[in-house]
Amino acid sequence: MFATDFQIVLPEVILAAYAMLALLFAVYTGKDAVAGLLTWVTAGLFVLLALWIGAGGDGARTAFGGMVNDDPFSRFAKVTILLSGAAVLAMGKDYMERRDLLRFEYPVLVALATIGMMIMVSSGDLMTLYMGLELQSLSLYVIAAIRRDSVKSTEAGLKYFVLGALSSGLLLYGASLTYGFAGTTLYSGILSTLGGEVPLGLLFGLIFIIAGLAFKVSAVPFHMWTPDVYEGAPTPVTAFFAAAPKVAAMGLLARVTQDAFGKIPGDWGQVLALLAVLSMFVGAIAAIGQRDIKRLMAYSSISHMGFALLGLASGTAEGVQAMLVYMAIYVTMSVGTFAFILSMQKDGVPVTDIESLNMYSKKEPLRALALLVLMFSLAGVPPMVGFFGKFYVLKAAVDAGMVWLAVLGVIASVIGAYYYLRIVFYMYFGKEGDRLDGDISPVQWVMLVGSAAVMVLGVVNLFGIDSLAAVAAETLVR
Amino acid sequence: MSFWPKKGKDQPFRRRPGRPQKDWIAPLMSPALIAALPFLGALLPGLMIRAGRDACALSAAFFTGLALLMLGLNVPTVLAGGVVETRIDWLPQIGLNANFRLDGLGLMFAGLILGIGLLIILYARFYLSKADPMGQFFTYLMLFQGAMVGIVLSDNILLLLVFWELTSLSSFLLIGYWKHLPEGRQGARMALTVTGLGGLSMIAGMLILGQIAGSYDLSVILTQKAAIQSSPLYVPALLLILLGCFTKSAQFPFHFWLPRAMAAPTPVSAYLHSATMVKAGIFLMARLWPVLAGTEAWFYIVATTGLVTLLVGAKIALFKDDLKALLAYSTVSHLGLITMLLGFGTAEAATVAVFHILNHASFKAALFMTAGIVDHEAHTRNIRRLGGLRHLMPITFVIGTIGALAMAGIPPLNGFLSKEMMLEETTHVVWAGQAWLVPLLATIGALLSAAYSYRFIAHVFLGPVRDDYPHKPHDPGLGFWAAPALLCAIAVVGGLAPMALFGWIVDAGATAVTGEAVHVHLKLWHGVTPALWMSIIALLGGLVVLAAFAPLDRLWLAAPKPDAKRMFDGVVGGIRRASLGMTDRLHDGSMSRAFAIGTAAMLAAGLWAFLGGAYVPGTRIGAPMDPLAVAGWLLLVAATVALLFLHRNRLLALLLLGIVGLIVSVTFAYLSAPDLALTQISVEVVTIILLLLALNFLPKETPRESSPSRRGRDAVLAGAVGLAVGALAYALMTRDFAFPSIAAFHIDNAKPGGGGTNIVNVILVDFRGYDTYGELTVLGIAALVIHALAEALLKGGAANDRLLAWKPETPEAGDRHPMMLVVVTRILLPLILMVGVFIFLRGHNQPGGGFVAGLVIAIGFVMQYMASGFGWAAARMRIDFHVLIALGILIATATGAGAWFNGLPFLTSAYGYVHLPPLEEFELATAALFDLGVFLAVLGAVMLALASISRLAVRAGETVNARPFDIDPSDRRG
Repeated sequence: MFATDFQIVLPEVILAAYAMLALLFAVYTGKDAVAGLLTWVTAGLFVLLALWIGAGGDGARTAFGGMVNDDPFSRFAKVTILLSGAAVLAMGKDYMERRDLLRFEYPVLVALATIGMMIMVSSGDLMTLYMGLELQSLSLYVIAAIRRDSVKSTEAGLKYFVLGALSSGLLLYGASLTYGFAGTTLYSGILSTLGGEVPLGLLFGLIFIIAGLAFKVSAVPFHMWTPDVYEGAPTPVTAFFAAAPKVAAMGLLARVTQDAFGKIPGDWGQVLALLAVLSMFVGAIAAIGQRDIKRLMAYSSISHMGFALLGLASGTAEGVQAMLVYMAIYVTMSVGTFAFILSMQKDGVPVTDIESLNMYSKKEPLRALALLVLMFSLAGVPPMVGFFGKFYVLKAAVDAGMVWLAVLGVIASVIGAYYYLRIVFYMYFGKEGDRLDGDISPVQWVMLVGSAAVMVLGVVNLFGIDSLAAVAAETLVR
Repeated sequence: MSFWPKKGKDQPFRRRPGRPQKDWIAPLMSPALIAALPFLGALLPGLMIRAGRDACALSAAFFTGLALLMLGLNVPTVLAGGVVETRIDWLPQIGLNANFRLDGLGLMFAGLILGIGLLIILYARFYLSKADPMGQFFTYLMLFQGAMVGIVLSDNILLLLVFWELTSLSSFLLIGYWKHLPEGRQGARMALTVTGLGGLSMIAGMLILGQIAGSYDLSVILTQKAAIQSSPLYVPALLLILLGCFTKSAQFPFHFWLPRAMAAPTPVSAYLHSATMVKAGIFLMARLWPVLAGTEAWFYIVATTGLVTLLVGAKIALFKDDLKALLAYSTVSHLGLITMLLGFGTAEAATVAVFHILNHASFKAALFMTAGIVDHEAHTRNIRRLGGLRHLMPITFVIGTIGALAMAGIPPLNGFLSKEMMLEETTHVVWAGQAWLVPLLATIGALLSAAYSYRFIAHVFLGPVRDDYPHKPHDPGLGFWAAPALLCAIAVVGGLAPMALFGWIVDAGATAVTGEAVHVHLKLWHGVTPALWMSIIALLGGLVVLAAFAPLDRLWLAAPKPDAKRMFDGVVGGIRRASLGMTDRLHDGSMSRAFAIGTAAMLAAGLWAFLGGAYVPGTRIGAPMDPLAVAGWLLLVAATVALLFLHRNRLLALLLLGIVGLIVSVTFAYLSAPDLALTQISVEVVTIILLLLALNFLPKETPRESSPSRRGRDAVLAGAVGLAVGALAYALMTRDFAFPSIAAFHIDNAKPGGGGTNIVNVILVDFRGYDTYGELTVLGIAALVIHALAEALLKGGAANDRLLAWKPETPEAGDRHPMMLVVVTRILLPLILMVGVFIFLRGHNQPGGGFVAGLVIAIGFVMQYMASGFGWAAARMRIDFHVLIALGILIATATGAGAWFNGLPFLTSAYGYVHLPPLEEFELATAALFDLGVFLAVLGAVMLALASISRLAVRAGETVNARPFDIDPSDRRG
């Protein structure tokens, strides 16, 4: 029994053991001198685990009395998380090293956060939910403030910590209310108590849990930390924030709403729909005024989370599938875009002002073209793959009878398209001025061009992720 | 899912009526291949850049010609009323399939696109100079061509959307081809913004349309007229789709982007902005005409927009001096005309629209090419600098004149036919009860149209030869003018023998648009009809306007004009400012704002949950109100409220906090929880003392940082949240949970299972030993972190500098270590140690335990530090606190691990009774050993924190005394 349980969480156990060993190894050997090595090893381990999880069996199993799930949904999310984590680690190493930011704790903390995320997406119990969430959050708080000598970075980390702690408190409160009225913390147990009149207390619990998770996915109005943290944290860290944790939090939200509260989609669907609409609009409108590309990406991520929430809000298997497809595509675009942002520099100093992209296409036609593809994809312009993600979500909403929501979504994407197109405009038609210089590291180049290529080539069949996501969604929505 | 067509039962190629085809030829003729060919063609020129520009042009032309040939092979089938389809599954789950259909409308448009495309390739070969990157240009052009063909051949509206945006993308690249021109930049930006946004909003329209029809395939949608028009979502879908069409086809008020985009090379303008891309919107309106047209909403939106565009475009075109701008606005005007015809909603009007699409494409492309030739030869497009070219460029003059006359609608050219038919249609239209309005305005439009056509001829070609052309013009070679000449020939033949040249294709196109079999009779002479009179008025009026052009032009120049660029920039700037305003207000980085928004949202969510569910009053009956409890409650409330007002004085705030803590402790005692009370009160004492020590380094007062209004807002918010949380707590306490209380289990099992009668202690060290174990570790780590932080501060840096420069606000007391205090604490120490041991030992059965004991003993030590100062006390404290913490945790771990030797899980406790004379029999449980660990760790943690703060104090300049007290009565010298 115990052995089987352990076998199911073996990837997490391996990663945890690795993280602790790596920490000890670094402390007793070269400390920061081995940070580069650890980064590569961690990224490699991520990839191996992703391959293992992705290739490993099918079907659904549970461990520890249902507290941990191993099913297509969790595997889909885990592979996305691990691969994006590996990509971000690999492409950020060069940047961190050049700016003397590469501490040996960084890869270890990323690994620990990743374990938390893996637990989050496979949680089957409010306890595992909280455990995973906190492991992730605590690691992220530290990573956000890893540049200790920068006031901005420290402030961002601190803000993130305080707001995150508040959200964790809310979530915990919601969880205890849920426990009080359902009599169990197991998702399946909570689901079986639903039926007929839902006790008010349980409804409160649900609301608080959603609010707590909304902080983590940075949905409006719980998004306030996002722009500051994106701007303040070192760019590789921002890139990490923009990818894996979003997938994990979305996956967790899908799990809780479907696995535990799947019988009352009307109650949470409305809340998620409201969060979605607010996020899409606030994100899109606020991004227009931004000049800092990292801040812009922060608002863009808020808007994108709104779209993913739209899929969840529809409450159907199609909606969950749409969310997964959307997140996978978003993460890929995000990695590519951040690979470019990491390479932005002038005289060796990182630049994040979008004005610096003026006439970039003249200097680096290929990179500019890749970024153009990514920007169009982020804007959801067909035929880029980003359009398919949006369309999946919108169609799920329409099919669930939420036509107005879909229309609002499109309007938000129209507003949002403006600032992506503006970047393209600067690159191709901007004024002559100070241009970026400096080279892109090979890893960043591969990520940038690769991600752009995926956005174009993916139109053939989305590399099949939609059918994988469909299988994943089926296991979640019963 | 497969990208490739399935073999077998699901035939990829279906032919309705049509004649039988040989097997091998069918795939070659599939619409999918026709649409794919230009994309294949896009690859070659890019690869052949080095092979020279002829090779580039030839390869592009080859693929275009091939596609045209295949299209031609399909003509018989389509004319026989057949629809050629190719169906390829793509992403069937979202309804996106690569389904193509070729019917009359598709055939007509595809023919236009490919035919004119071929001519443009020829023309561009001569137009572009050697320095221009030819391969790149043709790649973009073929890409665009493929996207356009894709639009008109799509059967799936999602596929159509994909191609639609692809035209935006490729046109963006084409417009930006000459990126060194500043107006080109602005034009590209506007074109991309306007058409891109329109296209995106169309996605929603298509989504709704597909939802109503139950399919995204046009072959299904087009049969669902009743369902679509009766749907409540019809109007939103219509508006969204029309938004896409209007932006693409430059209809008022989105007409401003088209002329601005004309900075592109002329072949691009001729192809994109006259013949093809701008017709995409028209095409879509025609495509969806069977299901969308015929309603009032359609009529008033589409016909009115078309009419307004017709007039506005024509008026602006008349006064433009830039040759291409003139043509651009004339294009806007003609597109408005076609839109208006489609908007009328009658089959006849739609037929005329189809006819005019053909005519307009032929003469307008010719005119653009003519303008390009003039620009190329004379090096200017400014009408005011031209004139008299008739003598210098006779061939160009003939071509230009025929094109312009066709545009004006002079018989016997093709423009006359469709214009007259258009005027005829307007006479049947009643707009809001007014039968005269539309015919009148249409006539004015036709008049202006005639006027700018005349001006094109008169001001460019007629008049005297000038001697100040920027470059001496002459006719170019045959290759350059062949394409426009061919188009003009079509205009002439089309006018003279309309049925032969256009009849069949108009029939096919109009049949496809209207959904009913149409047989047009195109002829020059219709007899003396109202339309003839209107036509004559327009043509003569045009002459009058041209004659009076100079005064009119002065009037025009004097009149204020809305500047599209300024308005566009204004709108964009406004949005940007609004956005900045929002971010400045919302995201100013203020933490309290983030909290305010978060809590307000939570409050709203809670309220929503409350209103959404059924409220059932609680069933538990409250305990009677005891005066003692009420007094305690009042004290608590008073202290809390006072804290709100007095918190700026930090010492006072700390004292009030102490009161709150004490009341809480008393409450525990009152509610029969002596253990908690004991723990709480010792924790209270220790924390207040530590806080007091820390307070020493801080200013006595907190400065006021927020405005009164802000505080008011926060007060309201905090009050509301407080009430809400209170209400929630009350509601929970008056209800039973979904399960019985766990208390009974603990009461039943504490003695038999854990060997203790103090349930709380048994819970802590036994039932939930894991929790305690974890907390212990956390406590130890917290103490270490405090120590590390203090160390880091003392290492040097800004904080250290501040510490060194620190001056106490009030001078130190002369007698900091009073003898009385020292003596009393010395006497108390053994007593406290004794009490600590007592509390520890009784813990398992009576209130007490390791945690409380640790705190009590820590208080005893802290008192020594306070009385005699850090230096003196530290010198006598021989124990390393780090070791203490580690020892505590190790003991706890060892105790837990001990259970393994009994074959039990970690932390399983065992106990037994021991009799040691002369003591009474007492119990020894492994839990007590665990408790010892707790005791040591707590003691160590508190002392380490104290030591850390003291080190800061020393660094800040506090003197270290060697003697126990300042004034020693026994020391005579002191």
